[in-house]
Amino acid sequence: MMFIQTLSARFTSRLRSEQVSARLGMWLGISFTLAFATGLFSHFTQHPPAWLLWPSRPVNLYRVTQGLHVIGGIATVPLLLAKLWAVYPKLWQWPPLRSAGHAAERLFVLLLVAGALFQLVTGLMNIAYDYAWPFGFIQAHYWTAFIVYGALVVHIVNEWAKLRRHLWTRVQDPDRRRFLYTIAAACGVAALVTAGETVAPLGRLAVLAPRNPRIGSQGVPVNRSALAAGIAGIIGDPGYRLVVTGAVRTPLSLTYADLVRLPQHTVSLPISCVEGWSVECEWTGIRLRDLIAQAGGSPEAFLTVESLEQSGYYRGSEIRPPHWNDPLTLLALKINGRTLDADHGYPVRLIAPNRPGVMQTKWVTKVRVS
Amino acid sequence: MRWLGYAFGGALVALGFAGLLMDSDPPGWALWFGGVLIAHDAVLVPAVLLAGVLVARAGAALRAWLIVAGLVTLATLPTVLALGRRADNPSILPHDYALNLLIVLAGTGLVAAVIRLAGRLAYRRSPERSRERSQ
Repeated sequence: MMFIQTLSARFTSRLRSEQVSARLGMWLGISFTLAFATGLFSHFTQHPPAWLLWPSRPVNLYRVTQGLHVIGGIATVPLLLAKLWAVYPKLWQWPPLRSAGHAAERLFVLLLVAGALFQLVTGLMNIAYDYAWPFGFIQAHYWTAFIVYGALVVHIVNEWAKLRRHLWTRVQDPDRRRFLYTIAAACGVAALVTAGETVAPLGRLAVLAPRNPRIGSQGVPVNRSALAAGIAGIIGDPGYRLVVTGAVRTPLSLTYADLVRLPQHTVSLPISCVEGWSVECEWTGIRLRDLIAQAGGSPEAFLTVESLEQSGYYRGSEIRPPHWNDPLTLLALKINGRTLDADHGYPVRLIAPNRPGVMQTKWVTKVRVS
Repeated sequence: MRWLGYAFGGALVALGFAGLLMDSDPPGWALWFGGVLIAHDAVLVPAVLLAGVLVARAGAALRAWLIVAGLVTLATLPTVLALGRRADNPSILPHDYALNLLIVLAGTGLVAAVIRLAGRLAYRRSPERSRERSQ
């Protein structure tokens, strides 16, 4: 008992101080704000409410926000662990709860600490395709973000006076300064060895990134292979048709040979995955807006593209007017000058600017206009 | 202002819990939420404290390198373990990550050694040292 009561006083490292904690806390506040904002952007890009029409430009917007979310998240790991080490003695403070207010304060700190660890652990595992948990990643990571950010707001309100006191004063102690630089170096190295999976000039340094933008079928990474989608057997079926149906004057039903004969356009667009990697490719195919014009669909229509895939969360995706009216949006037949491989969506795949990779539907067989 | 912050933060937390209850798997989520906390507070930090005691006499550069090495390893651990590899898709986790991690750790170690040497050289030539010697 005696041991626990005096435990918090037994942590002797001189590197711990209110100022060190405040500095680390400030950087964490910035980093979690960035993660929350980019995460919400990604979520509402994929699940927009009916009234929300995202613009299709800037072309690389999603690529940048999701790169910040993922690489920023990786670089946050050293910050969070350093901060928790710095404040660890407070975990053992005695008495543990002094009053109702103190109990509430500590409850929110508990939510903040567990939630921050949860977000980083699940995020890191998710980009490494390791789904060891019993829940759906998307829902758990999304809702836990609200818990973390809410608890962070409460924590900042409680600690505001300390934060302000230390924000603009120099860290005098050289050991503490060196400690903070060491943590910054760890954040920098973690970012440097992963960022190349989306920042092309750093590509060769991305030795610990889960993806290499130059490795994959036709030199481009793939998220869902034709085999995993369960359609490897029907690729190249001569009975294939691309159907344009729904609210159109003239429904279309086109064979692959018909598609090849339509006017072809070549555009440069990135595949930007929610998992943070991205790569710019040259795509050749038919402008989606040309096809809808040919079928006589309204420019204000909402489109749904459907895949040959029979099931799966991402077998179809919605394309709203700003995206499908954009001349860069194609139903692509070729990648970097070569006919699409089965894994890249042969015979036809969608490619549009400022859009997450999971919504660049592959193996497209139907465009529904509504 | 303070209460505005509490109300906003509390509302976000409540929204998060409501969403989890309706949209997720609450027991599984709770297991992981508590699990990562216990793994951190009862396993990781005590291990770090123990390591700190063991290397207390080491030089500043070596300790700094150990911190960087440990943190970079943890920040990339799921990728390095590469448990998510799949036979149908060789573009997922395509590298030899154990080897790459060793190279990164060796590289940061080299940088730490160079900084240490540069610091020692600067110290030898510094006026402080001449003063100390003349005393």
